[in-house]
Amino acid sequence: MDYTNQIREIATRLFTEDKIDVFVGYRMTGFDDNQVPALIRDPKEVSQLVFTDKSVFNLTNYLKNEHTRNKRVGLVVKGCDSRSLNLLLTESQVKRDKLYVIGIACEGVIDEAGNKMQNCMECVVPDAVVYDEMVGTPKGKQGYQVNADIHELASKELVERRAYFEEIFENCIRCNACRHSCPMCYCAKCCIDQETSTLYNGANTKSSAFHALMTWSLHLAGRCVDCRNCEKACPSHLPLHLLHKWNERVIFENFQEHLAGVQEGDRGAFYKYSMQDPNDFIM
Amino acid sequence: MEAVANKQLVSIEKPEIAAPPDWEPVIIGILCNWCSYAGSDLTGTSRIQYPPNIRIIRVPCSSRVDPWFLIKSLQTTADGVLVSGCHPGDCHYISGNYYARRRFLVTKKLLNFVGFHEDRIQFSWVSAAEGPKFAQVVAKVTGDIKKLGPLHLYKKENFEK
Repeated sequence: MDYTNQIREIATRLFTEDKIDVFVGYRMTGFDDNQVPALIRDPKEVSQLVFTDKSVFNLTNYLKNEHTRNKRVGLVVKGCDSRSLNLLLTESQVKRDKLYVIGIACEGVIDEAGNKMQNCMECVVPDAVVYDEMVGTPKGKQGYQVNADIHELASKELVERRAYFEEIFENCIRCNACRHSCPMCYCAKCCIDQETSTLYNGANTKSSAFHALMTWSLHLAGRCVDCRNCEKACPSHLPLHLLHKWNERVIFENFQEHLAGVQEGDRGAFYKYSMQDPNDFIM
Repeated sequence: MEAVANKQLVSIEKPEIAAPPDWEPVIIGILCNWCSYAGSDLTGTSRIQYPPNIRIIRVPCSSRVDPWFLIKSLQTTADGVLVSGCHPGDCHYISGNYYARRRFLVTKKLLNFVGFHEDRIQFSWVSAAEGPKFAQVVAKVTGDIKKLGPLHLYKKENFEK
């Protein structure tokens, strides 16, 4: 998958037609073969843009940035990124008429070791769902499959799961990089940030990490699109996707196969209800 | 029963942690104002006995219950949580308990996934006329949690600070 030339062509065209103020894409880091997000304001810098298998980050996170807010933005989105863009549009965080969206028919991206990312192998929506222009050949919607890690962990005993997650909470340093890198976390004042309150203490303890990660994953339940920005940002390399994928599985199986951001105007699983929702767990 | 009483009770999630001999579970009961709280009131005025382990918090509606309430209860004092609201279709605010039901399911499954026994978090629908049912529910929840042992969720760490 290499769409570098197409992306550069489109960006040049948009700048010459004066449709955008800033273009959000990817560029090389300059010291290795990985990529970083790039904010291009000058048409001369368009030659920096690239798009290959290494374009892993979800760029919709950069729409809440001061450089892009209230400006006309050109944006590159893959399948998963377009789902979070869809949710941001529905939640009135982004204005659609200020965006020019280049949708990618994604074939999956690779991690730093060169293997295809796990979420790409299980991807349900590889093609962008919101776009002004499509690059590549769309593959269509794929079937949902349960994450392999979830499958393995859910079959373990309660005591083992408890020990496993306790280690995760112990290793969390409460840097909140996961929250910061998440496109769906846009609150100006986050509830897990209130250090002076006794509700969430900011201290780096197992207890506070449990509290913060649980609350964070429940705020994202039914809204997480599995882009794994949080996991890429985590300095402790915690498998944060486990919490989100588990919620996604519960919601998919119980609430009429709901998947976040696939349909336009869908606010998430907790903003609606059905008479057929499971009731047998309630006395 | 005597055989069980002689064996020392341990936490089901962490078998290395044993309960003190005089251990009694603490259960947080979050009740909706319009049905379950009135139901518990009826239990009291009808002089029906139920275990005193439950500490009741009144909320306007079961959809007022943020999953965070459950997390915080378990993290600080409680060994179990009971959330109770109006029966489906009876909500004072028309559809509050339908929204709440979705959140409850996801919260319960997530906490079970990260290593809590599923009986630690229980839900019930109790109407204002169901005084005896409320007593039964509290008795069942208390009995369940007594079997599970204390929830030693990072609590020691909390108290040391």
